[in-house]
Amino acid sequence: MTLEHRAFLYRGVEDFLRVTEPFLRAGARAGEAIVAVVREPGLSALRDSLSDLKGQVDFYDSDAFYRHPVRTLKQYHELVKAMAPRRVRALAEPVWHGWDAREAVEWARYESLINVVFGGVDALALCPYDRASLPEAVLDQARRTHPLLLDDGAAVRSDRYVDPAVFGDDCDRARRANGRPADAEYLPVESDLVPVRLFVGERAVRLGADERSARNLVTAVNEVVANALAHGCPPVGLWMWRDGPDVVCEVGDHGLWRPRPSSLTGFIPPCSALDRGFGLWTVRLLVDHMEVRAGWDGTFVRLYTACAGDADAGDRPAPGGAA
Amino acid sequence: MNGLDVGWFTERPVGELRPGDHAWLAYATREEREHVIGDFVHDGLRNTEEKVVYVADSPPERLPGVRRLDDVTLRDRVRRRQLRVLSRAQTCLDRAGRFDPSRMVDVLAHEVDAAFDQEFRAVRVTTDFSWLLTAPGGGLTRMLSCEHLVAEAVSPSTTTMAICQVRRGARPPDELAALRDTHEVLVEANPEFDDGVLKIVRTFDPPGLRVEGELDAARHAAFSDRLARVSKGRLRTHLDLSRLRFVDLGGLSLLTRHACDLPGGSVLVLDELPPEVEDVIEMVGWHRLPGLVRGRPREA
Repeated sequence: MTLEHRAFLYRGVEDFLRVTEPFLRAGARAGEAIVAVVREPGLSALRDSLSDLKGQVDFYDSDAFYRHPVRTLKQYHELVKAMAPRRVRALAEPVWHGWDAREAVEWARYESLINVVFGGVDALALCPYDRASLPEAVLDQARRTHPLLLDDGAAVRSDRYVDPAVFGDDCDRARRANGRPADAEYLPVESDLVPVRLFVGERAVRLGADERSARNLVTAVNEVVANALAHGCPPVGLWMWRDGPDVVCEVGDHGLWRPRPSSLTGFIPPCSALDRGFGLWTVRLLVDHMEVRAGWDGTFVRLYTACAGDADAGDRPAPGGAA
Repeated sequence: MNGLDVGWFTERPVGELRPGDHAWLAYATREEREHVIGDFVHDGLRNTEEKVVYVADSPPERLPGVRRLDDVTLRDRVRRRQLRVLSRAQTCLDRAGRFDPSRMVDVLAHEVDAAFDQEFRAVRVTTDFSWLLTAPGGGLTRMLSCEHLVAEAVSPSTTTMAICQVRRGARPPDELAALRDTHEVLVEANPEFDDGVLKIVRTFDPPGLRVEGELDAARHAAFSDRLARVSKGRLRTHLDLSRLRFVDLGGLSLLTRHACDLPGGSVLVLDELPPEVEDVIEMVGWHRLPGLVRGRPREA
């Protein structure tokens, strides 16, 4: 029972169909649960050529499916669960255009996390990468996040593949500079969380978040601050500011997070609310992006939430969108 | 903390009743009656400054609240005429054994006057009217006129507070509503916990807790403790969340842990989930909260 996670480097729709169609047909013959999450024009082409398999393949448009890496992981997790005990065969083509640098890194991390989250699942995942339209850096990343490749018609092991925890560390190092702007508002935190919730809820709306995002941010910040109070060292405090399309809230304490949090922390869907990672995982679901920095100067958790009106753009900015 | 206005009524915990309150309790279970009336009576008899008048045919030691007193204290309260247990015949029936509202008001007025002479600071009056609704000379219309008389006597008073009790199943809901409408105050159990941020109130029909305000890490222990007590031995414990404004993620874990620790098949039923809380639950997925089930939907 293991996952076969393979990147398929193709060129053009014809090449795409030549491999993906027999891949999915083989699953239908074997009675497997089949999911195809594909970008256009491949999606329509594949639908046409597999029209005789009606009802046996669940089709999704990648543009709607890949909007928030942690939520997408959760969605796949639920799909696999719903299809159990059948073997799952997935054609999974992520979206690589229109992200800013930070988002692109998170989607690369997502591809790598697939190996951990579904490592013990009996499944086949074929991830198409379009050589014609994707930059070399993305193709290179695919070789580092997929243990198997289908490249120029040859099925091979990827000799560039790296362990997801190591890859995650690289993602964390790739983050942009971490300064707080001078106009960030600061709230020192004592033991009471009521003023924290009031502060975050009120500032989030004032900085441009819609009501629902603000509420989710309040729940997320409350969790992070409660962790800091329980496990960190005083003083604990938080800062809020607006950064481009995002409302940002950073929670800091002077404690050393030891053992150092792994770069996988909070990404793996827990089985239930009783699991240790439930809190941080839910925080990652509630906000658009979360960064943890645990250093000698303390532990800092930064939460990003896209602003009202930019809510969609926050998930999927238009090409050339906000930096 | 002030009571919450519900339409024409004020909802008030029994511990916050004040002179002039003519309150209504339609109790669902004996347990609820014991909770509410027990506190009402016991609060009056704990010290020696207030008088309690209880119209009932039971012996004093079997009445709610009185049961909580030791023998010595009980004898003392009776001797001082601080506790007056009056039979129905003595209070509100005429010679033919028919219900006589004006007699009842006269008897009670007499007790209040006596309390004044005895220098009691306040008088607490209560009775269970359930039997009267079907008794000779009783019935809804007579009861309504009786309630108006009681209201006229109690409301302007600076010393008297009264609770009229009725078993909820005694009459159809519309009749109970008509009776309720002759009261200004709906009395309920004292909160199990209230620190101004989180309030926990026992509920009896269905049995469980009403959780109001905000549940966060500082209040997990208090909540956990109350939840353990109320869910013990119950297959379905209901949590009325209609007035819950915030629950932290640790609170969801706490509920789940609690549900999983209950004997097999027992669940916590979440009634009237506020949309913002349901939002978070939907996001993580109900299956990650085993033992928690969605209950009565929120009223529109």
